[in-house]
Amino acid sequence: MRRAHKVVVVLAILLPAPAAGDIAYITCQNGEELSLIDLASAREIDRWHLPGKPAGIAAGGDALFTVSPGSKMVRRLSRGGGVFAEVTLEGGPTGVALDAARGRLFVSDWYNARLWVLDSDTLATVMELPTGPSPAGIALSEDGRFLASAEKDADQVSVFDAASLEPLRRITVGTRPFGLRFAPTGLLFVGNVGSNDVSVLDVATGKTRATIPVGERPYGVAFAGARAFVTDQYANTVSVIDLETLTRETTIDVGEYPEGIDVTPDGQSVVVANWFDNTVSVIDPNGLTVLNTIETCDGPRAFGRFVLGGGHQ
Amino acid sequence: MKRRTFLAAAGLALIPATSWAHGPTRQKVTLTTEVAASPEEVWEMIGNFQDMSWHPAVFATNGEGSNEIDATRILTLGQEGGPTITEILYKYSAEKMSYSYRITEVAVEVLPVTNYSSHLTVKTRDGGGSIIEWRGAFYRGYPNNDPPEELNDEAAIAAVTAVYQAGLEALAERFGAAGS
Repeated sequence: MRRAHKVVVVLAILLPAPAAGDIAYITCQNGEELSLIDLASAREIDRWHLPGKPAGIAAGGDALFTVSPGSKMVRRLSRGGGVFAEVTLEGGPTGVALDAARGRLFVSDWYNARLWVLDSDTLATVMELPTGPSPAGIALSEDGRFLASAEKDADQVSVFDAASLEPLRRITVGTRPFGLRFAPTGLLFVGNVGSNDVSVLDVATGKTRATIPVGERPYGVAFAGARAFVTDQYANTVSVIDLETLTRETTIDVGEYPEGIDVTPDGQSVVVANWFDNTVSVIDPNGLTVLNTIETCDGPRAFGRFVLGGGHQ
Repeated sequence: MKRRTFLAAAGLALIPATSWAHGPTRQKVTLTTEVAASPEEVWEMIGNFQDMSWHPAVFATNGEGSNEIDATRILTLGQEGGPTITEILYKYSAEKMSYSYRITEVAVEVLPVTNYSSHLTVKTRDGGGSIIEWRGAFYRGYPNNDPPEELNDEAAIAAVTAVYQAGLEALAERFGAAGS
């Protein structure tokens, strides 16, 4: 897992200035690899072996946190591929979210209705937060106030105070919520794979602001500009939602079984992992077109935040 | 063998009632075969969602909704009164010669998978004939941690592969191997 280091360094030197860039770290569950996609040059620059059927990822600060549900292992990797820390969590570790400011990592336990709260440095368990059954995606609001988890078999989202970790409320959403993310506006977008819609929640009041029909099996959500982008697993599309009207504007055709979705720090590229095709689609969020389709490893899930900006260290 | 069967039954009793639960890793299988007949000829045989008689394991197809989205079919396997698989059509294109369907009901003893979706496609082969592609995405039969052997990821992949292989081999026999 360390062989990548040199390649990354060499590229950083060779590429032109604006390309000093953004990397998508794609967890490939079937192939048990982590694929590094350089978004400026639109190509895969390396693959690292990552055992245990990895799916969940949280890229933040200068580290990558990966979750391998097959081996129940959570890892903290450096951007060069070194393993800083790893821990086995007995249960079904699935979704992951980083609170970099507070040094906490949250991991959902699919089988035991809880979130683990880990020290993001050592990965030691600090405490556990009870949830509804089958918690999957976890998200932290951009202002750091709220933590939310999507609980698939309860059709609900649990909201916690991200500072005190006190439970605040549980909000009923559509059928079988899985992925979720907070918009820059503070609203929480939740993909409901069973009812094929997105619940838009005001977590401070617990009110549902909108329920937006999307394509079949919405999985992940990302935001760029004044829009939300939702992967529709069965429709092979990304649904584009206008953040002002909270309605679906259009869809963009991507590869088969689109899953993980994230955005570059400058908001100029939306990146989608196509699980069946073993490709990554890069979308222009302004023109709403696919700019590039890039080969990656087998079974890309990339469930979580997987893009890290570069060149600013 | 007896002991293993018993253990499996004990394990099954622990599965929660919801059929939506699934294991941690979705699996995929893609199998193709190349045949001498034209894509039109092959599609004529396999492009009707309501008739899966081309597959040697299927004894009868009973369904409704023709080839419209949300059409359903019940496949009876082997013989009259045999085990069944219930499926629903969610994408259909005669033009692209492709259809997609999901299993809505099957016992894991019949096919050890859950959350199964599949596509069947006929493509033009360079140099003449057709390529028939069958691909599926699914989770193993056992939704919880630490599955018994007969319901693990490997068992799911082996079972789906066997179904596709039997179907594609029957088509290759019927339509002849593609020339070079």
